[in-house]
Amino acid sequence: MLTGKNIHKSFDDLEVLKGIDIDVEAGEVVVLIGVSGSGKSTLLRCMNFLEMLDEGEITVDGRKVNHKKDDLSKVRAEVGMVFQHFNLFPHKTVLENVAEAPIIVKKINKKQAEKEAYAILEKVGLSDKADVYPGKLSGGQKQRVAIARALAMEPKALLFDEPTSALDPELVGEVLQVMQDLANEGMTMVVVTHEMKFAKEVADRIIMLDEGRIIEDAKPEIFFNHSENERTRQFLEMVDV
Amino acid sequence: MPDIFITLFEVFMRTYEGFLKAALITLELTAVAIVIGTLFGVMFALMKISQSKILQTIANLYITLIRGTPLIVQIMFLYYGITSIIVLSNFWAGAIALGIHNGAYIAEIFRGAIQGIDRGQQEASLAVGMNRRQAMRRIIFPQALRRAIPPLGNQFIITLKDSSLVYVIGVSELFGLANREAAASFQSFETFLVVGLYYLVLVLIFSGLLKWYENKLNVDK
Repeated sequence: MLTGKNIHKSFDDLEVLKGIDIDVEAGEVVVLIGVSGSGKSTLLRCMNFLEMLDEGEITVDGRKVNHKKDDLSKVRAEVGMVFQHFNLFPHKTVLENVAEAPIIVKKINKKQAEKEAYAILEKVGLSDKADVYPGKLSGGQKQRVAIARALAMEPKALLFDEPTSALDPELVGEVLQVMQDLANEGMTMVVVTHEMKFAKEVADRIIMLDEGRIIEDAKPEIFFNHSENERTRQFLEMVDV
Repeated sequence: MPDIFITLFEVFMRTYEGFLKAALITLELTAVAIVIGTLFGVMFALMKISQSKILQTIANLYITLIRGTPLIVQIMFLYYGITSIIVLSNFWAGAIALGIHNGAYIAEIFRGAIQGIDRGQQEASLAVGMNRRQAMRRIIFPQALRRAIPPLGNQFIITLKDSSLVYVIGVSELFGLANREAAASFQSFETFLVVGLYYLVLVLIFSGLLKWYENKLNVDK
């Protein structure tokens, strides 16, 4: 469904990704973990071309993407992204945030788009906030709106870049719950997170990055309990699962 | 009552009909200059932040030339330059010169406001499938505009006052009229004091409107 082959990415002289191969199947939930600076966010951002690859290729749903020739907007519309800092549009209401892209990008008429946006908001439990501006929401609510905004484009896969890292601890649960519901519905997801409980319970596979390389790719049960990788064990001790 | 107030009142009563007409011309000049200046400002701001080196260079050249030379020189230059090619009233020549002059400053205001918007807004727009143009038009620019309003208001007030300089090409706006009035009546001090008050009142009305508009935007949000 979503694959990357031999992905290399450098920022100036710093090589952040040193040849990554990743293959995410439809309906699969893959959690990327690793210490900060290991390249997990960069990998995620390469997968929907917010960062351009220096080398390697990305395939979305069987179609190889050429980032120099293809219309990247189309690719991004198929692979949604949820950011650490939500990045909601502050000058638009919650409903407008969700309906904006379907109206502008998919050219769906406004009434229909808003109806659908409302239904998605209902799903993330925020239909009562439809007419509120993002500034009036809690962090957890903002992130749920951001997820709704990504869902409105009916993406084939969703990328989450540390979706709960900017939240107060008591607000983390509501966001993870929405993500878990999505996973249960069969959404293809790649999640960068430090929430080990979520990784354990929801992920189909855990990929551990270290210094720009994948050092482990395993099912959660094996990853957390029987890893033979020294770095993985160090990391797990550090995050104290 | 001291003599000065009596004289001032006399000057005021004698000149108010003319000055009100002149004030209207000042306002018209300002309005035209603001419209042209804002159009130029948006256009050159977008050119300056575009990815095209050519557009960037053109915008930089325009901004450097305008900011590097006095407005009064630009007015003269444009007046004699334009009117040697096409027939243009001195009002329009002055208004266009003021507009082009303001465009450079307004371009910098917009550029700053646009670049001040968090990068995440652009990324989020791209991530939902918008192209750069859609992101600018729907997401970035509307937010930048809100931020630009206080400095824009400031620039508009400067425009209003700078419009006095077009007296050099013979436009009968407030300052031009005051100049002639002072020379004819030998009451320079009183006349310029009176015309100063006209400008002050106009500026106060202007800032009042701007403040009201800013508050309105904040309430909306």
